[in-house]
Amino acid sequence: MSYVVARELTKYFDLSDPWVVRKITGRKKQILTAVDGVSFSIKKGETYALVGESGSGKSTIAQMVSGLLRPSMGSVLIDGHDFHNNNIDGSSLRNMRQRIQMVFQSPYASLNPRWKVGDIILEPIRSFQLIADRQEQQKRVAELLDQVGLSPRDINKYPHEFSGGQRQRISIARALASQPEIIICDEPTSALDVSVQAQVLNLLKELQHEFLLTYLFISHDLAVISTMANTIGVLKNGQLVEEARGPVLLKNPRHDYTKMLLSSAPDIGSIKT
Amino acid sequence: MSGNREMVAPLLEISRLSVVLDKRHQRFKAVDDLSFRVFPGEILGLVGESGAGKSMTGSAILGLIEPPLSISSGEITFDGVRIDQDASSIRGSKISMIFQDPLVSLNPLRKIGDQLVEVIRTHINISKAEAFGRAKTLLAEVGIDPGRINAYPHTFSGGMRQRVVIALALAPEPALIIADEPTTALDVSVQAQILDLLKRLCRERGTSIILITHDMGVIAETTDRVAVLYAGRLAEIGKTSAVLKNPRHPYTKGLVAATPRIDANSFEKRLFQIPGAMPDLENIPKGCAFHPRCDFASTQCQKQQPPLFEDRSACWLSNEGSETS
Amino acid sequence: MHRFLQSDFFYSFRNAPVAVASFFVFAVIILAAVFANFIAPNNPFDPASLNLMNGFTPPLQSNEFTGDVFLLGADDQGRDLFSTILYGLRISLFVGIMAVMLAMVMGVVLGLIAGYLGGWLDTFIMRFADIQMTFPSILVAMLIYGVAKGVLPPDLRYEMSIAVLIISIGLSEWVPFARTVRGSTLVEKEKEYITAAKMIGLRKSQIMSRHILPNVLGPVLVIATITFALAIIAEATLSFLGVGVPTTKPSLGTLIRIGQDFLFSGEWWILLFPALTLLALALSINLFGDWLRDTLNPKLK
Repeated sequence: MSYVVARELTKYFDLSDPWVVRKITGRKKQILTAVDGVSFSIKKGETYALVGESGSGKSTIAQMVSGLLRPSMGSVLIDGHDFHNNNIDGSSLRNMRQRIQMVFQSPYASLNPRWKVGDIILEPIRSFQLIADRQEQQKRVAELLDQVGLSPRDINKYPHEFSGGQRQRISIARALASQPEIIICDEPTSALDVSVQAQVLNLLKELQHEFLLTYLFISHDLAVISTMANTIGVLKNGQLVEEARGPVLLKNPRHDYTKMLLSSAPDIGSIKT
Repeated sequence: MSGNREMVAPLLEISRLSVVLDKRHQRFKAVDDLSFRVFPGEILGLVGESGAGKSMTGSAILGLIEPPLSISSGEITFDGVRIDQDASSIRGSKISMIFQDPLVSLNPLRKIGDQLVEVIRTHINISKAEAFGRAKTLLAEVGIDPGRINAYPHTFSGGMRQRVVIALALAPEPALIIADEPTTALDVSVQAQILDLLKRLCRERGTSIILITHDMGVIAETTDRVAVLYAGRLAEIGKTSAVLKNPRHPYTKGLVAATPRIDANSFEKRLFQIPGAMPDLENIPKGCAFHPRCDFASTQCQKQQPPLFEDRSACWLSNEGSETS
Repeated sequence: MHRFLQSDFFYSFRNAPVAVASFFVFAVIILAAVFANFIAPNNPFDPASLNLMNGFTPPLQSNEFTGDVFLLGADDQGRDLFSTILYGLRISLFVGIMAVMLAMVMGVVLGLIAGYLGGWLDTFIMRFADIQMTFPSILVAMLIYGVAKGVLPPDLRYEMSIAVLIISIGLSEWVPFARTVRGSTLVEKEKEYITAAKMIGLRKSQIMSRHILPNVLGPVLVIATITFALAIIAEATLSFLGVGVPTTKPSLGTLIRIGQDFLFSGEWWILLFPALTLLALALSINLFGDWLRDTLNPKLK
């Protein structure tokens, strides 16, 4: 069952100079097509990976799927509901927000440095009004910390007291707090060391199996994507140039761009004796 | 170990180098008793995770470290000359450096030609016109159209800028280039081009390169030999193919196993994970720095810091002659 | 507290003579003002305690008529100058603190709004700030003061006068707060923890107050210290010019104005001591603020 569907997602950014400047200098309007008619669908419980270089549009797609950026054209359907539909009321919108959360690239910028870890993880629970009782709230936060491999004693600590990998775990705990069905992982391990990356990727996989989570996984790293993805979509300049099940794409890439990416990417497996 | 190597004199010799950080209530070693060599015409990889000391080592070689950091002991010898106390004779001339971010390595207000000419004429006594000619040749060598010699840095893409930076590093005709994460900020396709360029320069010019990176894939594709650093110490060193295919040190094994591969079978497998994390340099465990995370740690590992065995691995288990599988 | 004493901040404080000295001077002055009623020999604002015959008594000399001795002399109305300075300090400090708080609240709120919401609101606020900054703040304060006086009933009470003074100085000093907060807001709003807050459906006002505000307050303290000094000088200037606090309960500025009239007829102390006090106060706050800014700056980055 296709749980997340992106249909002809398109986004234009107007980079033109102000009208007055254009009239004087005679320059034309400049529209950047960041995303051009991208369509894909993700089955419940699976991981769809979007791979691309800078300027490919993958971050913009992540923002549109997360509901934070309105597409210029096209739609995002979560379990059949259009995320950007103007007609949905406040409570339906909140309901949708609860189902989809995000884990970000930077372990440093993704947690408010002035908030305690416990409050950071509690915030979604309070915002979506999931648990009213204080004690139950504390229990839930402790449970979440435990699920990501941290200790309940960390509730009163501040983010700067943790390492990069631990901060990503806190981010994951926060993402899980609202019991979402979909998590968008935007380069979640790009800023982490190799050994820490392995821990975080394994954690993401375990959580996916335990809670039947659906992942949209954004990355530029083909090796990481090989490990994580059921399906891989290759983006170039805002267009989806190839899409296939992971093992299929890695073994038999069709598009020249995919082939180029696969051959260029540094791979530890390339070592010859 | 190739017997050939033993005959050739090393270009750069690092001997028991230690770099300390000395602040009001902190004193610890960022680099601890590090020794290795770089030979002419080779690419040596310096790999490690954050805090392992690899960038610190690169900076120390060039004498670029400032208080509260300082070289507390050890020697650095280049072409027979000691440079650890005073690197001014070789910095920028016999050894040059490339950094991670091409955006800040180039002066945005000057044309690339002018920047190249300045470097050339600082080290080689030739006329401006001759220097310009050399600059154009350099640009061609790194794959940039020499006609763009009067362009400003901002007109180039990230990858092209890094090529300009490489040209600047080549300008004084160095015997050794230290490249600190030269491709981390670049796209994958561009990354491959830059690494190929570095390899080509090494083969064609005989310039040695120390390639500092955290990326095992880059090590696999680019380097001849590799030194693995952990918590400021050398864990393992050897031919890249040997170290990656048959790692001897448990940390190297863990690192290799934890690195994802571009492979159709990767999805089915769980990535190996080394338990725990690299210790804070202020609190390095006694004995072997890795022992708390090591499956094979013995009591000796907890008490004594292991030396380098067989010029290969700093692990007490190598001494017993048994392969840790 | 123990952690503070061990911190790097306190360490650099201990080792900076300027900081320690200026803080010390400032602390002494504040304490003197706060405990004025215990320290001052008499209450200069109580008309009953004044004896006009004491007027113009030089410092430390017995008055020829009454025999009273004044530490720093007496002013034209027979008030003990020392006491008057102490009580006058109270007014100066009160006006200074209230004005800074007003400027701070206004500046921080406008800076947050301009930075986070952007668009025409940002443009409007910032251009208004730019225009206001082209005028010397004293002129702005006088303008507001003049308008207020014109609008309010003529039999002004003393308290109204103080309130108008506070408002006019406060409204003239909000811009540095707003600019700094706006700059920090622009940086913070791009960070991913703000995106995370949006993803849980928080309203803009909630994001601004709960998430952005705590992270942009850092430089505000430094600006507040410097603005405090400016506010005190502004009050003194306005009083000196005659548009501030009236002479019945004078502040330092008023005293200086009074003293100026008598400088060349020989009663120099009426001008000198209030002026020195004002100088000490403003200088110590300024120096401390400077040091604070320099120490906190690299870490802020």
